[in-house]
Amino acid sequence: MDSNKKYWKGLEELNQTPAFVESNKGEFAEPIPVEDVLNEAGLSTRAPRRDFLKALGFGLGAVTLAACNRTPVHKAVPYVIKPEEITPGIPNFYASSFNGQSLLVRTREGRPISVEANPNAVGLNQGTDATTVASVLDLYDMSKLQNPQIGGKDVEWSKLDSTVIAALNKAVSGGKQVVLVSDTINSPSTLAAIARFTTKYPTASHVQVDAISYSGIIEANKNTFGKAVVPSYHFANAQVVVSVAADFLGTWLSGEEHTQDYIKNRDHKSLKNGKMSRHIQFESGLSMTGSNADVRIAIKPSEEGAVLISLYNEITGQALAGGTTNAKAQVAIKLVAKELVNAKGSSVVVAGANDVNIQSLVNAINTQLGAYGAIIDLDNYSKQYQGSDLAFQQFLTAAKAGQVGVALFLNSNPVYSYFKSEDVKAALSKVDFSLSFSDRADETATETKAIAPRPTYLETWGDASAKEGLFTIIQPTINPVFNTRQVEQSLLVWAGDNTNIYDFVKQNWETNILAGTGKTWKDILQQGFVYKGTSTGSAYLAQVDVAAVASAIVAEAKKIAGDVELKLYESTGMRDGRYANNAYLQELPDPISKVTWDNYAALNPKFAEQLGVGENGTVTVEANGQSITLPALMQPGQAMGTVSVALGYGRTKVGKAGNKVGQNAYPLASLVNGTVQLSAKATVSKASNTYELAQTQTHHTIEGRNIIRETTFAKYLEDPNSESGRFSDTHKTYDLWNKFEQPGHKWVMAIDLNACTGCGACIVACSVENNVPVVGRDEVRRRREMHWLRIDRYYTIEENGTKFTEEKEIANVQDFENVTVVHQPMLCQHCEHAPCETVCPVLATVHSSEGLNHMAYNRCFGTRYCANNCPYKVRRFNWFNYWNDSRFDNYLNNEFTQLVLNPDVTTRSRGVMEKCSMCIQRIQAGKLQAKIENRKVKDGDIQMACQAACSANAIIFGDANDPESEVSKALRNERVYYVLEEINVQPNIGYMTKVRNTLEA
Amino acid sequence: MSSHNESILREPLITGKNITYAQVTDDILLPVENKPNKAWWIGFIVAALGAMLWVVSVGYTFWTGIGAWGLNKTVGWAWDITDFVWWVGIGHAGTLISAVLLIFRQNWRNSINRSAEAMTIFAVICAATYVVAHMGRPWLAYWIFPLPNQFGSLWVNFNSPLVWDAFAISTYFTVSLVFWYCGLLPDIASIRDRAKGLKQKIYGIMSFGWNGSVKTWQRFEIVSLILAGISTPLVLSVHTIVSMDFATSVIPGWHTTIFPPYFVAGAIFSGFAMVQTLLLILRKVLNFEHYITMFHIESMNKIIMVTGSIVGIAYLTELFIAWYSGSEYEMYAFANRIAGPYAWAYWTMMTCNVISPQLFWFKKIRTSIPISWVLSIVVNIGMWFERFVIIVTSLHRDYLPSSWAMFYPSWVDVGVFVGSIGLFFTLFLLFVRFLPSVAIAEVKLLLKSSSLQQKTKLVQEGAFPAEQVEHFRTALSSKYDSVTKEDIKELEIK
Repeated sequence: MDSNKKYWKGLEELNQTPAFVESNKGEFAEPIPVEDVLNEAGLSTRAPRRDFLKALGFGLGAVTLAACNRTPVHKAVPYVIKPEEITPGIPNFYASSFNGQSLLVRTREGRPISVEANPNAVGLNQGTDATTVASVLDLYDMSKLQNPQIGGKDVEWSKLDSTVIAALNKAVSGGKQVVLVSDTINSPSTLAAIARFTTKYPTASHVQVDAISYSGIIEANKNTFGKAVVPSYHFANAQVVVSVAADFLGTWLSGEEHTQDYIKNRDHKSLKNGKMSRHIQFESGLSMTGSNADVRIAIKPSEEGAVLISLYNEITGQALAGGTTNAKAQVAIKLVAKELVNAKGSSVVVAGANDVNIQSLVNAINTQLGAYGAIIDLDNYSKQYQGSDLAFQQFLTAAKAGQVGVALFLNSNPVYSYFKSEDVKAALSKVDFSLSFSDRADETATETKAIAPRPTYLETWGDASAKEGLFTIIQPTINPVFNTRQVEQSLLVWAGDNTNIYDFVKQNWETNILAGTGKTWKDILQQGFVYKGTSTGSAYLAQVDVAAVASAIVAEAKKIAGDVELKLYESTGMRDGRYANNAYLQELPDPISKVTWDNYAALNPKFAEQLGVGENGTVTVEANGQSITLPALMQPGQAMGTVSVALGYGRTKVGKAGNKVGQNAYPLASLVNGTVQLSAKATVSKASNTYELAQTQTHHTIEGRNIIRETTFAKYLEDPNSESGRFSDTHKTYDLWNKFEQPGHKWVMAIDLNACTGCGACIVACSVENNVPVVGRDEVRRRREMHWLRIDRYYTIEENGTKFTEEKEIANVQDFENVTVVHQPMLCQHCEHAPCETVCPVLATVHSSEGLNHMAYNRCFGTRYCANNCPYKVRRFNWFNYWNDSRFDNYLNNEFTQLVLNPDVTTRSRGVMEKCSMCIQRIQAGKLQAKIENRKVKDGDIQMACQAACSANAIIFGDANDPESEVSKALRNERVYYVLEEINVQPNIGYMTKVRNTLEA
Repeated sequence: MSSHNESILREPLITGKNITYAQVTDDILLPVENKPNKAWWIGFIVAALGAMLWVVSVGYTFWTGIGAWGLNKTVGWAWDITDFVWWVGIGHAGTLISAVLLIFRQNWRNSINRSAEAMTIFAVICAATYVVAHMGRPWLAYWIFPLPNQFGSLWVNFNSPLVWDAFAISTYFTVSLVFWYCGLLPDIASIRDRAKGLKQKIYGIMSFGWNGSVKTWQRFEIVSLILAGISTPLVLSVHTIVSMDFATSVIPGWHTTIFPPYFVAGAIFSGFAMVQTLLLILRKVLNFEHYITMFHIESMNKIIMVTGSIVGIAYLTELFIAWYSGSEYEMYAFANRIAGPYAWAYWTMMTCNVISPQLFWFKKIRTSIPISWVLSIVVNIGMWFERFVIIVTSLHRDYLPSSWAMFYPSWVDVGVFVGSIGLFFTLFLLFVRFLPSVAIAEVKLLLKSSSLQQKTKLVQEGAFPAEQVEHFRTALSSKYDSVTKEDIKELEIK
């Protein structure tokens, strides 16, 4: 119902006064000056103070809110179909192998991030050397080829295949040779593939040549035993070891395996049983092995043979001509020979020379010593080096004569590593078709017509047999990242065999290897290896015409004898040069000189003084008509009148990290009696330019401080506490701080200075595990390397029976040949009274209830006070954004390489301090695993990355609250001392005294 | 104002004839009320270029990281903290002059306190820049303060001397600024009263409504005394705390209980040297010779000599204790200072800080303006090296010889340091232009008691015995450069 009622608001409306009518026209009772404001005059009026403040407030607020943008979120895209075996955050382990060593590859979300030794494997070693640990980085190397190439242009595989097959057929029909040049191939399946290939192409042959050759040993064994092999050495059975220029703990043959065995007679367990082997080293340059020797005599390269002749004479009582005239060596040899003979059956002599005669004489000596069998094993012989220098010579001759139609290069880079690079190039130019299987366009590959790039071992199926009877599997942990194809597959394809490589490897294993072992293919994939050999070999007797051998040695020695002699040696990190593009290895300090990113001419300080070469000086080394100019390094222990130069540097086409690092020293080598010789008569002269080497340690002695405590074996036997500073009446210590409870775990470490050889595998393992940045040569020069774990190396110079460790005393020393060395791994000591913790203004570094010194990167704002106050100087500061800065191009400056990062460990931004975390992510993983399994953490469940890499077992980690743990037992050892314990920072890492089994003359 | 006649044995603090209150105001406000001259412009441009260098160097450091400096894994502090301690130390003289000398009623401070306090503030600003600049992640610098936060209520570490530092420096800066500004109020009001237009408005705001009433003056006096009381402990505490950055550490050469008094003495030493450097130029360029007299210069030189001697004794004590401690690390640290790779720095320090101030035993030298000026700079060079020696030579060779390293500065290190000097002088030159560099009101206080004209009047009236007058005349004629022969002639009983 509609209402007609009308309400009025007031009398004005009822009366409709003119004023009301006027005011009722507008919407608002009072006019709003919109127009006035918006017209020009309004806009130009002065804003009142309050409006100004309002606008200011709003503006500021708006800007602030807009700036409150959260950090950009990078979304992880989940699997659409989750692979059954992948749980994000949980690593998977795959058995594989590298250089014949059985490994476990850790993968995260489908990408391999690290490798560790297969804990169950036998045959080789239980740790990993630096090159093995670093090998994961090679997978993510951007310098590799992404496609096959012909004439430097990317092509399809089918195109490459047809070209190659055409070339092969042409060669065969033309009666020309097809030669596959490779380094040592011990992989059964690769050899099977090569066999298929050579069957298909009847003129094909396989030449094996190693850049660092052991032909001398093979030839000598062939001559003396009729067995052309390199033996295996079981140093665990040797109580007296004499090495003449063999770096058997480092690069010689199987250094890691030797280290593991050798240390068994020298570490804390052996000492506890009152046993320690004696090791005498004769060498020119100070090698890592020499640095661990009990007695070391510096000799010239030309004296190596003479020393062995004298030794032979002393042992057998014969009087062969040509013994050494070096007085120091003569004295030592007399004593050593007695030792060797007394320890018959458990003594051995090894020599590093790649010379048939020297090795034959060594065989004769070892036969006298009864070393064959228990120590030198010719039954379960090594298959790591089978190369023949002679075979390669024959290939070069044939190629130069135009008899080779096709040359294939597998793991072989002779343009770089052969001493006459021009010869190889000339030979290649005469070959109709050449191809390299190299994963990158390296020095040889760029000279060949085609490149068939191979994937890394982490992407392939394969196997290896580093020793007779030992077989290890290689299984892929990721699909080939680039458009690469395995060598074996290529060979099969070219042989007209279309078997898939997986089937091929599997079939080969099932028919040839697994037969009789009772194991299946699946078992192998899980276990990674089969060992069919025995633990020691049988005895052999060498048939040597010692007189003839000795006179040949004398004759050869005369050729290299001179005022100055050169010794070329294999570098610990680069090895023969193949790892030159691995930034981790380039930044791994040399175990002795602590030089990174370069090779150098090592000279005795006195010799350098005679040459007029000082700090940062350079020298020109000339030998065999070739010369190179290198930075000089004052090397105590280097024999006078000798110069040592590392091989493996000076690559030109290896990639961003390794190109033009150091100088290539291969051209200084020579060929004598069919074997490549690394010693030569040389001249050294001062060069004009200066060059600063990037060393991680520049002060070399302990300055008489008790940070290193060492004793002799004789003293140790009298008193195991000897020199450790442990006394029965320990004085009372006082604390500023309250004791806090550590009821759960207390993680500690024990480091045996007698076991550490200084190899540096732990450094690389730590870097890989903890994403420790590589900083490059310039930053190392500025003393900014980031290694969380370093190995300090200290020299003691001995002259006339006095030992000098202080700088001011050493200034007066005349003879720098007698030097003793100690290696001390140094890392965060996780002090209970950590000086770093008290000074951090923002509590970025704090102590955990498990005895760890934590570092909260996110809280750190980088005052560096903690690093200054660290007595051990183990803290590392991120001076730059190392993992993402274009100036550090050799490391992680691209997204692909960044995939190598361990996702369990954050990368640190610039301005943040970092240091050893005691692999806290591993501790956490171990604890979680135990929790899942509803049990306590067992001793040995958790291994540090450094510990896992150490074949010598020098690093023992565990829970100090468990009295039965390995580490607790180790720390109860009489030899244990704590570095800088007198400042009462209460470190959690104990060191065991260095014990030397010196000769008591 | 003066209710008593000051003895003639006291040398005058103001010289010149016929100086009136107006004359004082005119003289002191000359640079503030007039356009700057060429000398000022040249100085300012040079200083501003220095400040630009600072901006570039610090900007580059912020952009690339601390790696731009020459630091390394062993030497984590070098020029940055050297410069920081140096600047903080320099600041101390201002506070000592303004606070401690006020409490001890040392009237001669009245002519120099203003500039000295300004110097303090600018020096502390320079020092504070290093606190931020030396951080790896300077954008998080505010974490040094215990601010309520949402990071999971993270707190600062009250055990850390750096936290103490943050409190010490910020307190110091605040108190110094307030003290300085309070002292400026009557003088700003004077400028206001003489200025016109915009200038008058600005100075009007800045004078906080100073009206010159008796009550205002009374409050002013009380506030000054209270602030002096607050500041006095700061003279001792700030550098004590700075020294604890080192003294509480475990590094041989740092871990030293002598540091607090030694640092305080060193701070006053370097601060007075800097005051001397500035004022000797200031009084010449701005014609303040009648207000900043030889008495002031000599007094400051005496303080430099005394504090320099204290510092010297501290150095020797350190050496003795290093030997007496029997600690091989401690002994090595000092042997390394004396004869190690940085021995040149140690001996520079020794020469500049211990030997050069001893020259002030000679009156000729301590009343010679050019020599005083040169020595004041020598002292500050020495004090810079003192901090360099303490920081770098202790760090570069500490416990484990494997880590021993050398420190070499990069261009950025040099740029930040030279730049900070530029910044300091830029600020100081601006101060000279816009604020009275001598405390007008406080100088006026002395006019009727300690001025030469007053004393001359008294002499003429025969208020003093003849032998005292003779002594006075000798004292004046032998050193005062602002006293003329006529002035001396007039000192006769009429």
